[in-house]
Amino acid sequence: MEAVRRSARVRTRVKPYLYILPMSALALLFVYYPFLKTVIYSLSVVNAKGEIVSFAGLSNFAYLFGRREFKAALSNTLTLAFINVPVTLVITIALGYLASRKRFLSPVYESMFALPVAVSMSAAALIFKVLLNPTAGLVNYLFHLDFGWYQDRNTAMAGILLLTVWMGIGLNFLLFLSAFRAVPQDLADCAYLDGANEAQTFFRIRLPLIAPTILYVSCTNMIQAMMTSGPILVLTQGGPSRSTTTLVYMMYTSGYSSANYSLAACVSLVTFALTLVITLALYALQERRRDSQ
Amino acid sequence: MSLKAKRRLQSALVQALCLALGAAVVFPVVYGFLGAFKKPAEFAAWPPGFLPDSFLNTENFRYVFQAAPMLRYLFNSLLVATAGSVLRLFFALLAAYALTFFEFKGKKLFFILMMGTMMLPGDIVLITNYQTVSAMGLTNTYLGLIIVSLVGASQMFMLRQSFRQSPAALREAAFLDGCGDLRFLFSILLPLSVPVLVTLFLQSFVALWNVYLWPLVITSVDSMRTVQIGIAMLTTYDGTNFHTVLAGVTIALIPIFLLFLVLRRHIHSAMTAGALVG
Amino acid sequence: MKKTLCLLLTLCLTLSLIPAFAENGPVVITFWHSMTEEAKELLDGYVADFNATIGAEKGIRAEAVFQGSYADSVTKMNSILSAPGHTDELPDVMQLDATGKASYLQAEAAWTADDMAKEYPDTDFSAMLPAALMNWNLAGVQLGLPFATSTTVTYYNKTALGELPLNTLKDIAALKGQVSETTLDGADITIYASVPNTPLLANWLGQLGSDVVSKQNGSEGIADSLACVENGALLTFLRAWKDLYLSGALKNVSADREAFAAGRLLVMTNSSSSIAQTQALIGDSFELGVAPYPRVNEAAASGATVSGSCLVMFDHGEARRAAARELVQYLTSPEIQVSFAMGTGYVPSNALAAESAQWQDFVREHPLYDVALRQILATPASMRSVTVGPSADFYYTIMNDVSDMLEDDLTPEETAEILEEDLGGLLWQYVRANP
Repeated sequence: MEAVRRSARVRTRVKPYLYILPMSALALLFVYYPFLKTVIYSLSVVNAKGEIVSFAGLSNFAYLFGRREFKAALSNTLTLAFINVPVTLVITIALGYLASRKRFLSPVYESMFALPVAVSMSAAALIFKVLLNPTAGLVNYLFHLDFGWYQDRNTAMAGILLLTVWMGIGLNFLLFLSAFRAVPQDLADCAYLDGANEAQTFFRIRLPLIAPTILYVSCTNMIQAMMTSGPILVLTQGGPSRSTTTLVYMMYTSGYSSANYSLAACVSLVTFALTLVITLALYALQERRRDSQ
Repeated sequence: MSLKAKRRLQSALVQALCLALGAAVVFPVVYGFLGAFKKPAEFAAWPPGFLPDSFLNTENFRYVFQAAPMLRYLFNSLLVATAGSVLRLFFALLAAYALTFFEFKGKKLFFILMMGTMMLPGDIVLITNYQTVSAMGLTNTYLGLIIVSLVGASQMFMLRQSFRQSPAALREAAFLDGCGDLRFLFSILLPLSVPVLVTLFLQSFVALWNVYLWPLVITSVDSMRTVQIGIAMLTTYDGTNFHTVLAGVTIALIPIFLLFLVLRRHIHSAMTAGALVG
Repeated sequence: MKKTLCLLLTLCLTLSLIPAFAENGPVVITFWHSMTEEAKELLDGYVADFNATIGAEKGIRAEAVFQGSYADSVTKMNSILSAPGHTDELPDVMQLDATGKASYLQAEAAWTADDMAKEYPDTDFSAMLPAALMNWNLAGVQLGLPFATSTTVTYYNKTALGELPLNTLKDIAALKGQVSETTLDGADITIYASVPNTPLLANWLGQLGSDVVSKQNGSEGIADSLACVENGALLTFLRAWKDLYLSGALKNVSADREAFAAGRLLVMTNSSSSIAQTQALIGDSFELGVAPYPRVNEAAASGATVSGSCLVMFDHGEARRAAARELVQYLTSPEIQVSFAMGTGYVPSNALAAESAQWQDFVREHPLYDVALRQILATPASMRSVTVGPSADFYYTIMNDVSDMLEDDLTPEETAEILEEDLGGLLWQYVRANP
């Protein structure tokens, strides 16, 4: 009897750890261990085979910060993130709001707005490559434009932004649509009765109520935008003239294609630090706004 | 004008606006689809056309199917995104359960460590992870494709939030009926959390479907590539052959669109139910 | 619910454990290539023929795997080489371009053409086109055998330009004002579009008698510094390039084949390998002309370096080595090389192929296809393509820094300094880590 009780007690004590074991193991192996290794790489001279040759101190960082590619990558990445996120937010909030009331044609245009969810990144990138080609594509012809989009360093980033914003419409629209629909209708009705117009109810009632979704969307989009590399790899290879080089793209080419692992590690860490700071700032902003209310 | 008529007019206008905006959103996809039927010379013509000369020109599709195993790519992507999302949710489910219902030493540390992973996107540790996974002998395997993306901290967090809302009495009642933890989790809690689970699954699926860098480095044989890599490889290094590329894109998109249309209703209701409000 | 979940989980786990493939039977060898379109169709055909003839006879089956662009393929190779103990993922035969030479040479699993000649004394490289063969010799080691050999040539719109000369950059500058600036539909016409990268710079500097980097453009050892600064060659080229840009004839973008085919770009300098593809794109809308690569100035030598790719091998045991050798010999044989050159625009890498009646008849009828081979034969042997460790970074740095000179209106002197600093930094970083 005593033995049974004790084994039961051991079981209850061990049980929680069994539940968290898979996630902990995976996180240690594929998140924290490689992160530690990245930190070590950034402080070492690493040869093309990935072996550590010697200790480098901060010289890798010093070299990185002096590189023209890095300065371009840094400013491009920040530009991309700080334009992409607000633009996506405005567009998808507007679409979500427009579509929030169920109407006769709702199923049709809801599907249309959500469609980009179903388009994979490289498919979208390739379509935009054709669409924005100055000769073969339709956009320049339709809008009487005369620039090279991905071929011109002044417009390549705009082309990337167009693509990334478009890709983000689908999922974020769905999130906002759900959020708007979950706002209790009687709250809005009350406001109408109090004489508020559509715009006032939108800004005073609905928008504050979907604030958690806004925070969530901004954070996830921000992290995603800071990590942009796929469209760059498919479309521009960072060019023309470094105009679309992003941090993660630089990490890939320097570290991977050119086998400079220490430099890649430095770029990784810089990207990490920046993303962390920005996300925390977004979070703090939201908290302060909530407190002030 | 009566109030009702005014309402109706407003509704019609909103719907018309939505349709116009919707058309703008889907335009690139339609354009890509039409381009798949064009001949090379049609891309060099000025002014560029919208419709192909003939929808009977299936030469591009023939080339793509012959040049690359498109169906295999699609299958791989589907498998990776599904299996990855299911496993990720499963592990997150267990962890979230432990966090909600168990008291144990190191609980706080575990929680912080898990939330910390959200700050470390996979791309940051791409190269070092490649070395690990390849040392495990998992290059060119499905497990290798998904193993690095199985830590779902945000999923765990959302599930914990959802579990917390379930009344504590529920668990006690279930235990009195002789229910164990696992049975309670899977037979009672899980059905209650379906809306959240579907939302999380969808988000996870989309994210895994779109991963580009990891499958690029971890696969080197055609049969293991995902559709993302497969169609990007249809471009050549010195110029894109638009006609074949768009045919590849179209082939890659059709099955997903069908899936999307079939699941649309579920996706919507699930997302509405699991809305992130409050 | 629980059952479905369990089922789904089991399914996922089992499926994820399926290995890529498990086969046995004949000696199976993998062949990584980077060919697309016409070239890919031809190559797939050759491999199928090989399997049906020599393969069937000797019990070999070759599997051709497309690995994306050369850069993708080299990246893949590098990533495998950097993970110790995974050489079994390397192919038996690989189509390798110049950017992969350095890492291939250092790879322990490499089975070079020299290794092959040592093991099979009857091996004979003498039939290979000398310049093409030399291009794949690094630090005295013959890495592989030339397969898809090309060189940079000038493509031009013959209908628009007629017989106007295209011999030097000055000639191209002079086209401004001599040709129409808009198409009939009112679209702008660009005369010449190009952004210099590693191979193009090697051409321009090579014509001026200079290498880009030390150690004979890195072909005799690991390049550790620039070789074009002290002798003034870099500056001479940059000045000529800037003059061309200021003349208005040069647009600072990489040539766009669609624009060329649409008649909106008159001159482009591209690999000779895409003659067939370009012709297909143009259709009947105008006459395509192909001319030798232009010279920097009147005093410069003519010619351009060999580009393209070779076939290298990796060691996977004796049986597969022998099989890989069969495939490489088959693909570099005169018959295949003639067929491949006729279908694409590549140059026959086999001198016997170039002498064959079939090739002679073909170029008589299609003189465009002859330009590249003649240019390779006329190019001084001292012009070698560039081999550096950080090849991708090097390539884009050249493009970016030269572009900056034009777009930000920097002087050639400033640009030369910037290039020296940036490229020198890359070389230094590499040498420091890989002494």
